[in-house]
Amino acid sequence: MNHSQFLISGFLRPPFYNGVGRQINQLQRLTIKFCKSHGGSKGMRDFIENHLVNYAKENQSVVVYVKPRRHRSPVIVAEYLNGDRRWMSAQNRNHEEILKWLSLLSLQAGDTEPIRYRKNWHTDCPSIQGPWTPFTHKNPAFNNIAFPDKELGKQLNMPETATEKLLRLVQEQKNTKNE
Amino acid sequence: MFLNKLINIARYPNNVNQLSNLFQRCLISSTPAAHNKLTVNKPLEFVDLKEGKDPVQNVNKKIQNSEAGRLFAVVQLCGKQFKITQGDVIMLEGFWEPTNGDQLRLEKVLLCGSQDFTLVGRPILQKGLVDIQATIIEKSLSHTRTHFKYKKRKQYRRINFQRSPTTVLRINSIEINNSVDQNEAQKPSDNVFF
Repeated sequence: MNHSQFLISGFLRPPFYNGVGRQINQLQRLTIKFCKSHGGSKGMRDFIENHLVNYAKENQSVVVYVKPRRHRSPVIVAEYLNGDRRWMSAQNRNHEEILKWLSLLSLQAGDTEPIRYRKNWHTDCPSIQGPWTPFTHKNPAFNNIAFPDKELGKQLNMPETATEKLLRLVQEQKNTKNE
Repeated sequence: MFLNKLINIARYPNNVNQLSNLFQRCLISSTPAAHNKLTVNKPLEFVDLKEGKDPVQNVNKKIQNSEAGRLFAVVQLCGKQFKITQGDVIMLEGFWEPTNGDQLRLEKVLLCGSQDFTLVGRPILQKGLVDIQATIIEKSLSHTRTHFKYKKRKQYRRINFQRSPTTVLRINSIEINNSVDQNEAQKPSDNVFF
């Protein structure tokens, strides 16, 4: 299965200079829609009763809208500073689950769900000592060689030929005799 | 990978002129055969420590006069190594406690370098030598990964979807605080675990 047919891939593109001086919360606006009577909104109503005030206090940079509407399923809409809009159904979710999702939404910097990151690193200055080349850390004497060079162009790790082996054995015998 | 290359260079005893407990300067030579044959206009210069050419002193001078310029470092974070410089953004995957707006000092520094010099830790640099500040700018979830298992003719088919938490960090600054090789006695203490 070709994964890339369904998943957009991309690179890390954090909000411009976020975190350089200080970190700015990227969630701008949160809209909670729910029904006052239907069972599917039970968890959302519990959440509004128990957690919403605390949540708003903790995330003071977020504007929270609560919008009751008759006979419609509960919905969370998060809008971010970069213009992303994340729509989420909260049908039949309990209040703890909703709190978890909302705290995730407030920590995110946009709608990152559909992106597969190709790298976990982004830099504006990829190399400080210069990129590696085949001549990096090499002897500067190599600059003066005229290629092709027999010595350098020789095959490395050549197995010992029969002639060489014989010569070596003879030499060894001579050495032992001399001793 | 990046560090392994450096370690490989430093591994050969002939090539390494060991200066101190902390510091190594690498002299990379080609094959001996090539050395004999070649005529060199300006031969490789071997550093004489007595004539004021001590690289450690030169590095210290650069650090004191803040002439080191932009620094980069290799740090290990959550089991992964990152090559970072000021203003970089890195992403970690997996559960990690710190949240948005937290400011961290990254202490597991394996290497720190500038245009002119490189400090290589064995395996990590002395604590307090390099000061790396980072801010957490985003906590999110990765894309949905599909785990699909299937065995043919066995009526076996499992499908699971998984998203792991991610953390995005901004590197605020990389600075060398102490002068190199001044306090040899101060080694990484035993109560530090990585």
